[in-house]
Amino acid sequence: MMRRVAMVALAATAAAGLAACGSSTAPSAGGAPSTASTASCTYSSIQSELYQRGALTVATDKPAYPPWFEGNNPANGKGYESAVAYDIAAQLGFRASQVHWAYEPFDASYAPGPKKFDFDINEISYTPQRAQAVSFSSSYYGVQQALVALKGTPIATKHTPAELKSYVYGDQIGTTSLQFITSKIQPTAQPKVFSTLNDVKQALQDHQIAALVTDTPTAQYISADEIPHSVMVAQFPSTGEHYGLLFTKGNPLVSCVDKAITKLRENGTLAALQKKYLQLYLTVPTIQP
Amino acid sequence: MTTDDEPGTVGAAGPSGLSVSGAGLTRRPSPDGRIVEPSPGGFFSAGRGPRLLSAGGGRAAVVSTVSTLVVLAALVAIFLAAPGSAQVRHTFFDPHDMWQSFIGNPSKGYYSVGEAIWLNIRMFLVAEVLILILALVIALIRQSTGPVLFPLRVLAMIYVDFFRGVPLLLVVYAIGFGLPALRLAFVSSQSFAVYGVIALTLSYSAYVSEVYRAGLNSVHQSQVAAARSLGLSHGTALRYVILPQAVRNIVPPLLNDFISLQKDTALVGVLGAIEANQAAQIYGSTFFNYSSLTVAAILFLILTIPLARFTDRLIEKDRRRRLAGAVT
Repeated sequence: MMRRVAMVALAATAAAGLAACGSSTAPSAGGAPSTASTASCTYSSIQSELYQRGALTVATDKPAYPPWFEGNNPANGKGYESAVAYDIAAQLGFRASQVHWAYEPFDASYAPGPKKFDFDINEISYTPQRAQAVSFSSSYYGVQQALVALKGTPIATKHTPAELKSYVYGDQIGTTSLQFITSKIQPTAQPKVFSTLNDVKQALQDHQIAALVTDTPTAQYISADEIPHSVMVAQFPSTGEHYGLLFTKGNPLVSCVDKAITKLRENGTLAALQKKYLQLYLTVPTIQP
Repeated sequence: MTTDDEPGTVGAAGPSGLSVSGAGLTRRPSPDGRIVEPSPGGFFSAGRGPRLLSAGGGRAAVVSTVSTLVVLAALVAIFLAAPGSAQVRHTFFDPHDMWQSFIGNPSKGYYSVGEAIWLNIRMFLVAEVLILILALVIALIRQSTGPVLFPLRVLAMIYVDFFRGVPLLLVVYAIGFGLPALRLAFVSSQSFAVYGVIALTLSYSAYVSEVYRAGLNSVHQSQVAAARSLGLSHGTALRYVILPQAVRNIVPPLLNDFISLQKDTALVGVLGAIEANQAAQIYGSTFFNYSSLTVAAILFLILTIPLARFTDRLIEKDRRRRLAGAVT
């Protein structure tokens, strides 16, 4: 059961995500957004809404993992998320030199109160519950979960839905992968949840877990470039999950960034960047959880 | 408010305290016209063991209660009036989120914090026993005097220096990820909780061995001499004369370390074990709400506060025993 990851599916997911974003009317505790000044979304009209005038402050976590970033350096414009951030900045009228990168640990990114950035780009999945605490942009990437295992281990060949329940899984804390494991795969053994993705990889190499669960591009990168004896077993069907940029709750900048993302999707930039950085041209088997 | 009918209030009663003796807690001018504070309101009490609520009769209790309530009310008012209060309350103290994280729902991707704390308790109980044993061995080695044991003494010293100096988190990482990576037959196939207990034991034994050493040093040298002169062997003297006295002296600091140990079991979460703190973080990052951490904090408090009060009682009992000049 092999198939190409269809861009159409991605676009559909993204559209669904956009609709979901638009319909979420979570109670805002941070004051009403003043959309008046950002209505036109020109470079000059959004200045008053920026964290720092004359600059677009973009945040991400450390380490910044490939293929979303390259060389653990968000400012080089390489890697999917870095490239998307610079393209959004360009759409809003910023030069590359005006993009400032801030360090924001994932756990801190949803703390209440004003934030030290305009938006956070850190493979953060949109969920309605999360949208009660922060604002999300529309989708810049539709996510599917995938399995990475060591070559020659049972799960590499035996992964029918029934067989999948018998393994010990690992994932990084705060990811929607855990939710996927417990709600879709429903293993009998409790999954192990690690602080960083590097810890999950270490646990896989130590045979502490049978497989790690993460998004397909990350899974592909880990199996192809990072852990020599690992293999990406398969990916799971889309659940409609997508990544969005994270903003302070009610930040009026969201509407302008959404416009920029829509433009980038329509003119094919997002698809081109996904092809360039996320290795989506590789064929990936899809299995049922 | 008199000082003689209540043995607990001697400490703060200075001359001014005496001048208002029996006059209750109303402010009353002293003979030279200045306002003096009654003694129960004093900040320090020296001489006797400090009490949280210094007894001073019923009125003192009323004033203590009222002043506590006023301070609390002021703090709550500031908290509620703050511009971001609603958001902070939603993020940290949302009753719905607190309850959900307490009971958990694995099918929705988060685990019960209330259930996860059992892992902390189990790790803590096992680690505590191991620490008491290992730390005693290290302390006895360091206190030994025989020239043959010199290499062991050096090793014990290096051990204590090393594990007291290295952050516990690093020890947890090194044991939890290092031992499995060795791919040894038995050593590498344990659960993360076991590695966590090993790391906690290694680190805390270094601290606790120093507490033991302090206890051993607190027993006067003449006790050893007396025991030896009665014909007791070195080991028997240690077992029946020195250690019982030493341990009694160090019970409060030992319990202090164990209260700290209870909290540090949370560090084992970095190994992927779902203990209370990890379960709370999972909930927090799933729903972008920290109320789960508040739940974990409350559970840890429920664990540690009884032990803290027990320590207080032991200290008080010990103090009374000493003041009474008891020989036991």
